Formats: sequence, structure tokens, C-alpha cells
Amino acid sequence: MAQNVNPHSAPEPSSSIKTNEDRLRLSKDNHAVTKRLQKELMVLMMGAEKGVSAFPEGENFFKWVGTITGPVGTVYEDLTYKLSLEFPNSYPYSAPVVRFTTSCFHPNVDTAGNICLDILREKWSALYDVRTILLSIQSLLGEPNINSPLNPQASHMWANQVQFKKHLHETYHKENSKDK
Amino acid sequence: MASLESEETFEDYWKQVCRLFPILCHENREQLKSECPVDELGIMQSIVNQGQDEFVEQLVINEIETKLRRDVVPAFWQHFTIEESRCSSSDAFKEAVDSLFDSLTSIVPVLRTLVFLRQTAQSERLLFGHSSLMESFKVMVRSSLHSQLPLNYQAVTEDFYRISFKVFCNSESKDSDQNESTEDILQCAGCNQEVDLCQCQAIIKAFHETNGKLQELDLLERLAGDVLTTLIHKRIESHVQETCTGSFDVSHIGSLEVWLDTVVMGWLSRIYSSGSLGFQESENKACVSSSETLSKMKQTLRHFLYETYTRTRIDQLFNIIIEYPDSEPAVEDLRICLQKTDMRKHLTQKLQRALETRLLHPGVNTPDILTAYVAAIRALRTLDPSGVLLDTVTQPVRQYLRWRDDTVRCVVTSLTEDGPSDLAEELSRGEALQLDDLTPSEEDTKNWESWNPDPVDADPSKTSQSRRTSDIISMLVNVYGSKDLFVNEYRTLLADRLLSSLNYNTEKEIRYLELLKLRFGESQLHYCEVMLKDIYDSKRINTYLHSDSNFNLDNQEFAITAMILSAQFWPHFNKETLELPEFVQEHLNTYTKAFETQKGNRTLSWKPQLGSVNLDIELKDRKINLTVSPIHATIIWHFQSKNQWTIEELSQIMHAPATLVRRKITYWQSQGFLHEIAPDSFELVEESGPRVKGHIPSDIVCDDEETESAMASAQEQREEELQVFWSYIVGMLTNLDSLPLDRILQMLKMFALQTPTTIECSLQELRHFLDRKVAEEKLLFYGGVYRLPKS
Repeated sequence: MAQNVNPHSAPEPSSSIKTNEDRLRLSKDNHAVTKRLQKELMVLMMGAEKGVSAFPEGENFFKWVGTITGPVGTVYEDLTYKLSLEFPNSYPYSAPVVRFTTSCFHPNVDTAGNICLDILREKWSALYDVRTILLSIQSLLGEPNINSPLNPQASHMWANQVQFKKHLHETYHKENSKDK
Repeated sequence: MASLESEETFEDYWKQVCRLFPILCHENREQLKSECPVDELGIMQSIVNQGQDEFVEQLVINEIETKLRRDVVPAFWQHFTIEESRCSSSDAFKEAVDSLFDSLTSIVPVLRTLVFLRQTAQSERLLFGHSSLMESFKVMVRSSLHSQLPLNYQAVTEDFYRISFKVFCNSESKDSDQNESTEDILQCAGCNQEVDLCQCQAIIKAFHETNGKLQELDLLERLAGDVLTTLIHKRIESHVQETCTGSFDVSHIGSLEVWLDTVVMGWLSRIYSSGSLGFQESENKACVSSSETLSKMKQTLRHFLYETYTRTRIDQLFNIIIEYPDSEPAVEDLRICLQKTDMRKHLTQKLQRALETRLLHPGVNTPDILTAYVAAIRALRTLDPSGVLLDTVTQPVRQYLRWRDDTVRCVVTSLTEDGPSDLAEELSRGEALQLDDLTPSEEDTKNWESWNPDPVDADPSKTSQSRRTSDIISMLVNVYGSKDLFVNEYRTLLADRLLSSLNYNTEKEIRYLELLKLRFGESQLHYCEVMLKDIYDSKRINTYLHSDSNFNLDNQEFAITAMILSAQFWPHFNKETLELPEFVQEHLNTYTKAFETQKGNRTLSWKPQLGSVNLDIELKDRKINLTVSPIHATIIWHFQSKNQWTIEELSQIMHAPATLVRRKITYWQSQGFLHEIAPDSFELVEESGPRVKGHIPSDIVCDDEETESAMASAQEQREEELQVFWSYIVGMLTNLDSLPLDRILQMLKMFALQTPTTIECSLQELRHFLDRKVAEEKLLFYGGVYRLPKS
């Protein structure tokens, strides 16, 4: 657990007197976070990983758009999903908020796109990065955790892969055409 | 009034009037003339008394006019229409003027009488706008002359003045160099006659007479003015041409001014001041007016001289620039002239055109263009210290240089060349590099009094300070606008030089590096410093490894020395492969092991295509020592085990492209070691025939081929950098679907360009790059945005 605590900001008894100093430190930390994210971006860009990708959305480094394609050999094959990644100022000591922006019919993804994945919650570690997060989500698509479902319908349907795939593709195309 | 009524009195009266004005009487003029002088005063008095003075005057004037039109003027022009039958047209002019003068003087007594008449009648009537009858008469002469102007009258006049001018010039020059012996000159330079028959004096005399007469008649300016001006202009032009051709190392402006003052003005003053025969006008007035005309003419002529001279120099400006340090006087002349004439625009256009036709085409070598550019910078700086001329004129040169591939390389090479080169000299002056940055410079407040506004043709977007910089290297670097390109090119060049010399001798390079550091700053050249240190360290490590007996390096079949380069700091090498013979590779491995022992957790990665090999070749009839490149050595090595190889076999065993092998084999062919027995198949020549023997130079260094750079060129490096951008762009478009060009650039700047090695990328370059990707179908461009094609 210790590694998940930002050594600079953790033992901080928040008092209003020190806000000025805090802001100063915060901007310094911000810089460190930017640097880290920049490096992650470089690794991601130069690595040219198949099936996962992400890029800052626009003005700053703290909001990214991710893209993953369904793993080959699963019902999600050939489907592309977009995600949003929001990094807190305390990154990488706390996990980014990751959500599906394309609607995803999956046992561990709810209708709002929230993902139930342990490494984004209690098992987060500063050693994870954007690449590993995206890879984890990609593999989650093929291997859902039926035991803690966010979408019970999908969880029930998972057993019947043919039916699941049919429903999945129907909803995917319906949702996608609704977007456009 | 009553007396007029009778016929007889009238006739008598008319006779008297005719006696007074013989011109009125047509029939018996002779008779009238012969008669004794009449009582002029009495007749006049009676005319005035009868109030007929105006009538009589008009009558006489009409008669004079008729006479002028009918006889005098046609007779005068007659001389001009005469064909070539006359011996010389200058005589014709003289005769014409003489006869005109004579006939006009014959009319003068009539005028005098008229004047008396006026005096008696105390009349002040205006005639042709003049109160004086003499003036009116002149107007009449002029108008009737002009009314009958023949077409080619100028030819005759011009002839006359040309010859006289020639004679004059000749006598003038004779005066100036009397000491020179003129004995062997058979022809007089003035009149083209033999010296014995020289007519110069006669010509000059006739000339003065004629001019005097014309001046008296007030006809000089009207009749000869145009001709004189054109003649003098022509003369000035030809004189300037004569003086200026081919010599740029002497200032001519002074001598030209003197020439104008003495020769031309001298001649003109003689023409204008010779009207001293005293016709009627007071001499004083004539002198004043002629000197006024003269000074006015002098001004115009002087201006014309400057203009002509400037024009001539501008036409030669390209050559002047090429010869610049020697042609400084010419440039200085031009500078003075430019201030007096309004020809900057002409200069800019002319010079630009000259540069374009003579310099900026593919037939000229880049170093030559650079030399010319440097000379132009220097010359134009002298010409126009504000630098505006330079800026505008050399604009096309810079543009062209930017377009040439090898410009940077040429600049960097000549910067660090051994021989005497302008740029190397310039470099050792060691000033800091001044780049065009648009920060408003603080003008010297101390020198505000000497401040001058920029010329009108200046580009307002640039500060005058940046234009005034005289530093040539800055100007060259500014061709590209960035130091990085030059620094990178220098790095490549330095790498090539260090790797080709292979002698660990870095003193000279260190000197250049220090000089360059003064220009480009420490940080830019940090890599180069590391490179030089690498060489220095390699030397030390080599000595150390060889001296340590543990490594057993000295007991090998041949000694190896290595250059150990820090891969991080050197430019990228060409990706060439070469498989060395196993036996050599083993030696290299031993060396690597020694190095690893010495340097802990570091190792060596060999670049087998670089370096040099010293080898002895023993054949049946000869033994030769050569220093060649590794690939050459490898080729000949393989012939040791087998006498015959095909290119393909060699290429396979050496892991080198066939074309390369083919190219390298020609060296051995030219040396007479290999012989092509069939296409692409070679055999070792064990015994050289008598034809090759003798002229094989022993112990030569392989220098037959153009020195190829082992480094990837700047362009290739740039390509690699763009490749990095490409992966970012792919990432961007994968996640954000579609983006316009400026947004892509903005994103790149924000997210990709913050890497430690700051790479610049302009909008144009990016557009170019993306367009190429579109052409390669790796990208779609539709509706102003780029997107990735659906896979």
C-alpha cells in the first residue's frame, strides 16, 4: 500500500494557513506528473502496440482518449472501443479514472461505461501505466470476471457465446449508428 | 495731306522712300545704289510728318520677310541637302553659315535705317513681341529658318561639330603630353590628314568663325544645341566606356570629372564665347548669358556623366563583385555615384538579373555560388552600409542556396578548410553569431546624432540593426535561419574527418571547434566535444590495452587499434553490413574481450565497414604493401582461398550488396590483381603481364574513389525525426479520429516536441510530409481534415 502514497503529499495535515505553499508544491507536482505522462505517451507512441492506443485529448496532458480493439479470437474481435482516461494530480500515486465512451456490452462494464477492474481500484500501483491499463482492459474484454458483474444481463448471457456475440454486435452497431 | 492727291507728288514721294529703303524697289535697285547719298533725315521727317512711318515700316518688314523666305533661307538650306559630292560636309556647314551671315548682314543697313526712322518718330511699337527691331529681325530669321527645315540638317551640323571636337580633343591632349615624340605619327589624329598637310589650325579657325557668326545671329543654340547635346552625350558615353572597361582597381570618378571640366567644358566654352565679334549687343551681356548657359550645361553634363558612369559600373557590377577586394575603388566610385543619381532600383534589378543568369543555375558549383555570395556580401556592404541593397539583391541567391542540397555541407567544409579560404578567415575572427531574431534592438543612444533612417526600399519587417551586421558567417547561417542544421552538418563532417584520418590527431579539430563554439555557443557543440574526446580516449585505451601483457594483444598475427565512439553522441552511421573473414573477426573479439575487462560493463559493437587495413599481398612475381578499406581487404582475402569468385558468391559470403562488391572490385582490377574472365566472374592474376608491370605503384593509399561519407546525411536524419512524428500522428488520429493540419502541428508541439532533443517542424514541412503520406495512401485528406484510412 505504501507505494500508492505520494510521499510528498501524504503526511499532510491540511490547514488553510499553508495553502499558498500547497499551491506552489502542487504546481511543482503537476510538472512532475506532466513529465511522467509525456514519457508514457512517448513509450506508447514508439512502442506501436497492436490494438491499444491513446493520446491526449487536447489542451493538456491530464485527459486522454484511448482506443482498444477487441482481442482476436473473442466475441469482441473487430470491434473498436473508445475510452476516456482522466489523470488526477496525484498520478501515478492514485489511479486514473477510466471509462468506456463507446457503449460496451460486457459483464464488468455498466451502461454508463464504468469499468470494474481491480487494478483501477484497490489494486492500483504506481508501476502501472497507460499502456498496461489499456492492455488489461483489452484482456478483460475476452476474460470477464463473472463473479462481480456490473451488468447482470451480460453476465448471464456470457455462458452462451453465440447468443452473446449476436446481442453484442446488435447493440454495438445500434449504439454506433445512434452516435452518427 | 493735300499734296498726296496729285500723281506726280506721290511718285516722287515713293522714289524718296525707295531711296531710303532700297529693298522696296525691285526694278532699278542698281541704279538706286549708285546714286549719291540721300538726305535721309529729310525723307524720314516727311514720312513721320505724314504719319506713315508705321505703314512704311510694315512695308519694309514684309519685304525683308519675303526676301528671307524666298532667297536667303533656301540658299542656306541648300548647303545641307547637297549630296556626298562635296569634299566634306563640315565645309558645307561653314559655307552655309558664311553665306547666311553675308546675306543677313546685307539686310542690316535697311534695319539700321528703320531704327533711325523709329527714333525720328519716337515709336516704341512692339513687333513680334520685341521692341527692338534687331530682335524682331532675329525672330524672323529663326522662324523662316525653321519653317523650311530639311530632314537631315542635323547630320551636317553634327559632322561639323564632331570634327571640330576631335581636333580640339587632339590639341588638348597634345598640350598635356608634349614630351612624347610625335615624329613617327604620319597622320594627324585630329583631321586624319598627313601631318604635313594638317588642317587642324584651319579647322579650328573656321570653327571659331562659324560659331561666332551663329552666336551673333542668336542661332547657335537653336541650330546646334540639340546636335551639341547628343554629340557630347555620345562622347561622354564612349569616353566612360573606354576608361572603364576591364579595370576595377582604379578609381575613375576623379579623372572623369577632370576630363569633363577641361576637355568638354573647354570646348563648349569656346563655342559659346566666340561670339565676341561684336554684332550689336553689348559684349558684357553676351558674356554673362553665355557663362550662365555654360554653368547650366556643366551641371547637366556632370549629372549625365555620373549617370553614364553609374550605368556602366552597374553593368559590370557582377564582375566587380567577383573580383571584390581588388575592385574596391570601383565599388567606392559606385557608392559615390549612387548618392548623386537615382539608380538604386536599376542597380537592384540589373544585379539580380546578372546573378540569376550567371550564378543561379545548375551549371554552377555550390562552392562557386558561395564564393560569389560572400564577395557580394562584402562588396555590397561597402556600397551600402545600411545593408538594404544587400538584403534585396541577394534575396534570390539565398532562396536558391536553400534549395541546393549541398549548401550546408559546402559552408561547413569551407569554414573548416585548411587552405586559404574566406570563410575560415572569417571564422577565426571569432565573433558571436548573430541570428535574425526580431527582438527590437536597442539602438546606440550615444550615436543618435549620426542616426539615419533606412532607405525607402528597405524591408520594414526587419530591424536595421540586423541588416547592418557585417558578419558573413551569420549571413550564411541565416540562409537557413537555424543553427541546428549547421551544427548537425558540422557534426557529420567532423565524424567523417575523424574516421577517415584515423590518426587520433585532434589538435586542429579542437581549434576549429573552439572557434565554432564562439559562434554557435557551447551547448550546441557539446556533442562534437564528446566526439573529439572519444578520439582522444581511444588513443589512450589502445595504448593501455596493448601495453598490458594480460590481454596478449601484441602477440596476435596483426595488431588492432580501435576508435571507440560513444554511440549516443555520434551521428547515425550508414546502415551498411559487412562480414569480415572469420580470422579477422576473432582478433576483433579478442580486442573486445580486453576492452570489456578493462571497462567493466561496457562492450564494443564493431563497425566493420569503417577503418583501414594495411596488408601485404604476395603473389608469384611480386609483393606489394597496400592500405585499403576493410571491404577491399575482405574481397582480396577471399581470393586467397579460391582463385575464382563470382560477384554473387562474394556478396553472399560478405553479407554485402552485390552492387557494392562490384564497385569495390574495380579497384583491384585497376591495380591488376583481379581479372574479369566472364561477366560478374573474377580471377586472381598471379603473374602480371609485362603490360602492367612497372607502373603499379607500391604502397599507395586507396584513394581512387570519391570519399563517401560514412554518416547518414542530414536529410536522412531528418527523415528519421519525421518518422517519430509519424507515430505520434498515427496515435493522434487513432484516438481523435480526424484533425486539421494546424491542430496536428499544435498537438505535436505540445506533446511530441517537448522531448529533450528539441526538433523543429514548420507548418510547410509538416504539410509536405503529410501530403506524402496521403500519396502513399497511409492517410486520407478530406474536407480539410486528415484521418487514417480504415484498415
